[in-house]
Amino acid sequence: MQQSKKDPKLLSKQEAPKHEVSVVVFLRALLDVMPLSIAVIPWGILTGAIAIQIGLTPWQSQMMSLLVFAGAAQLSGMTLMAGSASPWSIFGTTFVISSRHLLYSITFRQHVSSLSLSWRVAIAFVLTDEMFAVSQTHTQRTGKFSAFYALIVGFGFYAVWNLATLVGILAGEYFDNIGALGLDFAIAATFIAMTFDKIRQWPIALTMLVSGIASILLKPYFADSYIVIAGLLGMFVGYFASSGKSPKNQNDELKGKNL
Amino acid sequence: MSWFTILGMAAITFINRYAFFAQWLRFQPNKQMIRFLSFSSYAILTAIWTPIVFHFDPAQGFSYAGMDYLIATSLAVLMAVLKASSIIIVIVSTIVFFVLRFLIFV
Repeated sequence: MQQSKKDPKLLSKQEAPKHEVSVVVFLRALLDVMPLSIAVIPWGILTGAIAIQIGLTPWQSQMMSLLVFAGAAQLSGMTLMAGSASPWSIFGTTFVISSRHLLYSITFRQHVSSLSLSWRVAIAFVLTDEMFAVSQTHTQRTGKFSAFYALIVGFGFYAVWNLATLVGILAGEYFDNIGALGLDFAIAATFIAMTFDKIRQWPIALTMLVSGIASILLKPYFADSYIVIAGLLGMFVGYFASSGKSPKNQNDELKGKNL
Repeated sequence: MSWFTILGMAAITFINRYAFFAQWLRFQPNKQMIRFLSFSSYAILTAIWTPIVFHFDPAQGFSYAGMDYLIATSLAVLMAVLKASSIIIVIVSTIVFFVLRFLIFV
């Protein structure tokens, strides 16, 4: 009797999905992503306000955050829209700027490739810089990847981003002359904050120098594609700058580390 | 037109996120490609913000958007190099920018 009672339990344990769905994990996920969610609120508001400023309807502005859900891609796409660039040049820029998600996608591949299609689509949909960072930390802390945890982190962040965008849209609708405020400076400040902390790594410094100057110079000639061209130039320079190490130098570096 | 752009952008960002989740995909990027991609955000973000502050005209040469932009940008760069948190950088430099723009350089 006891044996037959135990058997189904054992079976169900073995068949349990890899992702533990529990209230504890749910709350933990929301708590872990909260600092990043709070930090993204000003950018969400900015994104909503700029969308209105460049002439998108409130619906379009909100759908951008609901569907695209990528701050840097949204801001750069809107900068190009304001300069009446063609959709295809915007798509090119969007592809290059969101290509860093390929790196996250590669990293998560080992954890998610056995999950069902709907789980993979859901996790991919909310895969952001923030979700990746928080989820990786969780994986390192607990020793295993939790798909449920990643999903809650992602959608928690998604909810805050979209609410902040809504606030920005309402603010943009309320203030008539939002264009004269100089909101584009906030874009510059945002991107400076996101990049200059790594300026001490010289391949990154070279990347930024080249793409920054190239972008200024190319804008009058390639109003549609200057961002992509300048960006790719910078990426090539960074790539070659970081590959120029001779074996001898690498040995020296290793020695230095050991000491 | 705007709807087309928005939906296209949504498709592109989703494809980049989902790309390596596809089970049929056998492709594994090599180390070189990963290293190349790792520079993408630094390159693109810089390429977006520099023309906001600095302008180039083939006939007239270099110029900048204004003293308010120049000073606030320098402050943001300085704070970022000194590793202030990004939210503090954006808030402080934007406040300085608005003070310069609407109170000092009116």
